[in-house]
Amino acid sequence: MLNGVSLELRAGEYVAIMGDSGTGKSTLLNLIAGLDAPDSGRIVFEGQDLALLDDNRRTRLRRARMGFVFQAFHLLPHLSVVRNVALPLALNGVRGPTARARVEAMLASVGLADRAHSAPSELSGGEMQRVALARALVHRPTLVLADEPTGNLDADSAREVLELLRAQLKRDGAAGILVTHSRAAARTADVIYVLDECGLHVAPDERMQA
Amino acid sequence: MIYGAGALLDAGVLAPMRHQLGRTLLAAVAIALGIALGLSIYLINRAAADEISLAARSLYGLADLAVVATSQDFDETLYPRIARTRGVAIASPKLELEAKLAGRSGAITLLGVDPFRYRELQPAFANAATGSMPFSRTLLDTKTVLLSASAARELELGEGDELRVQVGLKPVGFKVAGVLPAQTLGDRVALIDIATAQWVFDRLGRLSSVDVRLASGVSTSEVRDDLLALAPNRIRVTTPGEATDDALRLSRSYRANLTALALVALFTGGFFVYSTQALAVLRRRREFAILHALGVTRQQQLGFVLAGSGLLGLCGSALGIVLGVLLARFGALGSDIGAGYFAGESVQAQIRVAEVLAFCALGVFVAFAGATRPAIEAARVPTAAALKASDITSGELQSRPWMIALSLALSAGVLFVPPIAGLPLPGYASIALLLIATVAATPWLVKGALRSLPQRPVPPYEVALAELSGTARYAALSVSAIVVSFSLMVAMAIMVTSFRGSLDAWTQRILPADLYVRVGGVGQSAHLDERAAHALGAIPGVARIETSRFARASLDPNRPALVLSARSFDRDELDDALWITRQSVRRAPLGTSPVWLSEAASDLFGIHPGEIVELGIEGETLRAFVQGIWRDYEHQNGAVVISRDDYVRLTGDRALNALWLWLDPNSSLADVRERIRGTLPPDAAVDLRAPGELRQMSLAVFDRTFAITYILELVAVVIGLFGIASGISAQVLARRGELGALRHLGFTRGQIASMLAIEGAVLGTAGVLIGLASGAIVSLILIYVVNRQSFHWSMDLHVPGALLALLSLVLVASSALIAVWSGRRAMTGDVVRAVKEDW
Repeated sequence: MLNGVSLELRAGEYVAIMGDSGTGKSTLLNLIAGLDAPDSGRIVFEGQDLALLDDNRRTRLRRARMGFVFQAFHLLPHLSVVRNVALPLALNGVRGPTARARVEAMLASVGLADRAHSAPSELSGGEMQRVALARALVHRPTLVLADEPTGNLDADSAREVLELLRAQLKRDGAAGILVTHSRAAARTADVIYVLDECGLHVAPDERMQA
Repeated sequence: MIYGAGALLDAGVLAPMRHQLGRTLLAAVAIALGIALGLSIYLINRAAADEISLAARSLYGLADLAVVATSQDFDETLYPRIARTRGVAIASPKLELEAKLAGRSGAITLLGVDPFRYRELQPAFANAATGSMPFSRTLLDTKTVLLSASAARELELGEGDELRVQVGLKPVGFKVAGVLPAQTLGDRVALIDIATAQWVFDRLGRLSSVDVRLASGVSTSEVRDDLLALAPNRIRVTTPGEATDDALRLSRSYRANLTALALVALFTGGFFVYSTQALAVLRRRREFAILHALGVTRQQQLGFVLAGSGLLGLCGSALGIVLGVLLARFGALGSDIGAGYFAGESVQAQIRVAEVLAFCALGVFVAFAGATRPAIEAARVPTAAALKASDITSGELQSRPWMIALSLALSAGVLFVPPIAGLPLPGYASIALLLIATVAATPWLVKGALRSLPQRPVPPYEVALAELSGTARYAALSVSAIVVSFSLMVAMAIMVTSFRGSLDAWTQRILPADLYVRVGGVGQSAHLDERAAHALGAIPGVARIETSRFARASLDPNRPALVLSARSFDRDELDDALWITRQSVRRAPLGTSPVWLSEAASDLFGIHPGEIVELGIEGETLRAFVQGIWRDYEHQNGAVVISRDDYVRLTGDRALNALWLWLDPNSSLADVRERIRGTLPPDAAVDLRAPGELRQMSLAVFDRTFAITYILELVAVVIGLFGIASGISAQVLARRGELGALRHLGFTRGQIASMLAIEGAVLGTAGVLIGLASGAIVSLILIYVVNRQSFHWSMDLHVPGALLALLSLVLVASSALIAVWSGRRAMTGDVVRAVKEDW
């Protein structure tokens, strides 16, 4: 149940959205990603109204311009680390040496170059989320959506993942939306919003810091 | 593959297949078995059909038409009239005889020909010679024959050897003057001079056919009617093509039914693909959601599942084709599938490229058909929900009542459709629809069954039930995987047992005497004369004797003749020796003779008790009153029993082929047997058997013929077990986390094992019960519709209770064991990690 939500995000902007369970944080992300459709209102991404696109066009848009990080990692269990990361490139038609170089660079930047050929089940939670991060960023999306990416991680791993996310976003100049329960996690973003029954608004006590 | 164009294919299709290698292989094997059986049956069929056509065609040579006797033969005065008919260029007379081989089993076709006419129609014969002597001259010597290549090979005779056949009870020898080139005659045939044949076999002045070559520019239709008008009821005029068709029609029902059985195996494979793919899609719900979130379109997802199935179908077909060719060429199947229809040697199965492609396409099609619904479901997985849902195995449990009702209604409806082109296609369609309805109803039945199970405060039982109800969709799919194969197995078991039981009862019924003597068969040269029969009847210890003579009778000159058995029995005693299923209460009206038609004859000609028909016998016509219809498993094209008095009055033929001997109560069978042997000429080929031996022989033939169905049953059981194993093990593996949690809660390993065993047993029992019910109905369709339509055989229902109970137990026990075994495998890993694991 989402009401009165209005958010405008520019390239390179990184925001966090906090809120109690059930306020619809994940739903908001799904709406932005075009996985769900709103009953009313508009979602405009890079000038295109998502409601005017069919599922295929939305899927292609998501494939090319967005990256997803989930709380439960959602790596494909049958694919090795390197294959999971290479998948978005394959989907976008980036192949051969270019793809190889990008995947290797991406894995190096999340510190997992030596785990390239491991199966996901052989990794720790923090490592898995770093693979997921690499997969979300490897095709250089303009928007990265992260849904509770640290929810299943210990404090150290969580900090590591969040620092990586921020650094990569800033390096690529991509926009990012981080949905989280954790105040500490939210603080790594440029702006913190709170989602409640009244809608989405900038967190009062965090405005100063931002 | 990581960065190449195949990366997507790998991620969406190959990696999941590799990950589930065992299950993937099983599905491919299921298709391979179907294709292998189908292909081997097809190849054997084709080889047999080719052989039959070639043999039929080679008899004609260059002839355009043949004038053929409707019964055994016609008077040779017809021959000059045929030769003089306008448009006829060459007329070649023939006398065809079945000669019983002397001193060994079997018979050979003797073809009496006029060598100078014959060579004009058979160029290969005209050019053949032995030394400087052309074959056409060698035949002029009395008592010489020329053997066809296959006859020479099978009888192991060559030039200069002696071919010995039996005429009456006396052996007669012919000198083999040479062996014909293989292309002259395809069959097991010996050529003989026609005058010699008429003389030696006591058929003076008789011909069985005249081959006709027309003058150039004359069409067959112009001459056909003129020829037929020469002797309307005694002859029919055929073309080589029609003769080939007739020859093929004899075995057509049998071959069509075999093909249908092979398709059944393939159908089962298709259902197996359906259940494995449906389970895979359920299991991969989250994976599909992730892929969709990453940007894989719905069409691509559909493509992934279909591509996976296509690949499965292709691998299965390839394996099946190799297996099928091997089975056709080297399998024991070849000789038995022929069921006595094909005298040919081993199958030289050469498979053509087009056939390979066709069977591959069939396998892929079946795999696609099985995967279509799961694929559409894969494309419909609601992404947001599937990403979030913790329980990926739950889901809507749906049976569509309208679909079940429609399938059932159609299934019942098509049973009233008459056979198409003489084949029981509507019956098979009905079976397919019934099975589809059963599978569609399975979720609903499983749900009902789960609800009706009693609650017990035993933790493993409680959890097992809760688990099954919570994952009812998985459960229903696991069950439907075995429902189809088990139904078919049950149906075939009941059908074969019913047939075997009926055949057994039938042989006992038609063999009321203590001893049987048989000399020669229909149209064969060997026979007994009345004096010999009297001599046998006078042997001490023999109380009573009855006789039969075999011949041909025709109800319609344009259709294959019936087998005629002329019996000495009193009319009332016939009831003992025939299994009468329907009869007229009236007595034969004055001027008619009572006859008894077999069920096949009644079905094929649409004749019922109480009707009066004209029966053509040896060129004469008998006004016959159909007194009764009898059950007959021996003559597929129909048979008729008439009284010996009528037969002798009509034809003057007093020869005999079979004797029924009843013994004095205090005489010994062995002694009488000994005395009979002593009475007959020592080298006469005579079948002397007690009813028990004949019964054993016919059951042995039955078992050999139906061996193929036992193989199919075995395949069905194996596929059923695959189905259970695949369904249950997937489900258990998907629940590793839950099993770990139960261990944390204090479940012992034993309790978990019994919980899984209960789940497996419940699923297995559900599948077995549904399969038993639908299989029983399918068996009724097979017995009362399909068999009746294709073979015109009625049979009584015999249910193999012990066998079905045993098979049911095996399936239920294996389900329980597989569940426990999968659980053990799932638990060997780190249980704590399993709890943490997310997929």
